[in-house]
Amino acid sequence: MGAPLLLEARGLKKALGGKTVVDGVDLTCAPGEVLGLLGPNGAGKTTSLRMCYGFLRPDAGTVRIGGHDLAREPDAARRRLGVCTQDDTCDPDFTVRGNLEQTGRYYRPRLPDLDRRIDDLLAQFELAPFADQLPETLSGGYKRRLMIARAVLHRPEVVFLDEPTTGLDPQARVAVWELVAGLRAQGMAVVLTTHYMDEAERLSDRLVVLQGGRVRANGVARAVLGDVVGEHIVVLEAAHGTPALAEWLAARGAAPATVLAEWHIALDAAGLAAFVATYPDLRFEVRAPTLDDLFLALAEERRP
Amino acid sequence: MSTFRAAFAWQSRAVLGRHVRVHLRKWHTALVPPVCEPILMLLTFGVGLGGRMGGFAWAGGPVDYLTYLAPGMLAYAAFMTAFFQSVFSAYVRMHFQKSWEGQLTTQVGLEHVVWAEALWAATLATAYATAVALVLLAFGAAGALHLHWAGLLLALPLLFLSALAFASLGLLFTAWLPSMDHMSLPFFLVVLPLGFASSTYFPLPDAPVLAQVVLLNPLHHVAEGLRWLLVAGRFTAHLPAAVGLCLAMLALLVPIDMRLLRRRVFGDR
Repeated sequence: MGAPLLLEARGLKKALGGKTVVDGVDLTCAPGEVLGLLGPNGAGKTTSLRMCYGFLRPDAGTVRIGGHDLAREPDAARRRLGVCTQDDTCDPDFTVRGNLEQTGRYYRPRLPDLDRRIDDLLAQFELAPFADQLPETLSGGYKRRLMIARAVLHRPEVVFLDEPTTGLDPQARVAVWELVAGLRAQGMAVVLTTHYMDEAERLSDRLVVLQGGRVRANGVARAVLGDVVGEHIVVLEAAHGTPALAEWLAARGAAPATVLAEWHIALDAAGLAAFVATYPDLRFEVRAPTLDDLFLALAEERRP
Repeated sequence: MSTFRAAFAWQSRAVLGRHVRVHLRKWHTALVPPVCEPILMLLTFGVGLGGRMGGFAWAGGPVDYLTYLAPGMLAYAAFMTAFFQSVFSAYVRMHFQKSWEGQLTTQVGLEHVVWAEALWAATLATAYATAVALVLLAFGAAGALHLHWAGLLLALPLLFLSALAFASLGLLFTAWLPSMDHMSLPFFLVVLPLGFASSTYFPLPDAPVLAQVVLLNPLHHVAEGLRWLLVAGRFTAHLPAAVGLCLAMLALLVPIDMRLLRRRVFGDR
């Protein structure tokens, strides 16, 4: 039997502005696990996340954080979760250290070792040289570090990171990845959303793919890709993509995704063998599917 | 009732403490307007204009304009400070600084954030009114103003309550204003009408309809109640009327504030 789940969200439903945004989503995360929440824009990622950390009330479903029901025991549940939102919400009236001190005042029971905890986080997140500066003087990467430091200040069991590396340069992204790996090593359950496929693959132990407010796939990256995309991606020049080929693919339930001047076609092993046999003269490449293909496949599925 | 219980929760105190901390760091610049404004008002209107106004009367008897003006300034300071703090500053914190969003991802709920804004507006308004009172005391010490000074002890709690009520009115606009471009609306819709029909800076004209309308204006009762208290040393019906109207405003407006702000902040019902 595995460790008890730190995040257990069941049957989440939410309508906003009369439109169903999330429709029966289940999310779980265990200690030391990083769960990647993926999906195209409007898939319901942020709304699902916001229900999980108590920002939005679900129309239906339950959320348990560290065993505490978020609706019935909000104080206990929220004491056990930390949030790094998509937007920069650093308090501009306080220094870096002041932001952490003030955040500490928003939690009960208070941290008995708050000052030492802040010093440790400033060192761990390499923020110590900027401790007495205002957040507005920090680069985007260091602001993001401060946001994550605030999210974990009170030693939560579950941390939600909503697109933590959006807008950061590659060096800053890698730094955030290392911080996320550090949180996992400390035994926290980490739930993150991202648009960066390499990030999702590198960081996540498990992926949940949302589409149209529902879970489309759930599992380790390779399994999710196999379920949604297929085993192989055939890449050929779009100029060689004839209507006859499109019909042949459609008859096998495949549809080419157009990427600039290329067709990317997801096929299983049997499909690939049939393709090679039917079109021996075509020039094409075969590669393993990536999460980019997953997004393209989902976009194709949404097309009327 | 949980809407009102939240005012006393530790989360509301924690957010209120944040506002106090920020303000205390810039108190020396923040204190300039509440100290300088009453000095200028008392000198220009009370001494300057008042010196040219012969036969000024209040409550059926003659009174110099400086004396008439002083209690009205206390009421107006509390009203303006609380209203603009809850409209302008709260809007900036909610919309531009996103400090509300940062607080709402902790153990703090929206009801605490909203109460903290109202309590902070009332606290600051009372502090500013206290600064005005100190200026009045200085004028009194100089022999230029004669009031029943002990009445100030009763005035300050009343000013806090009225400021809290005006803050609840201001938060309605925070929830409703589509953008910063509409910030002049509350000035035209609330400040001017309430201010003109309030007896703060000048007596109301003898008009029966107006006399009935101002009975619903809490600022009028605060100003007149304080005037009777400080000028005549008498406790009149204006004071309980002011308390009653302010409590009614809080009972009515705070739940509406919460509902509208929930929709605004969360995009939720």
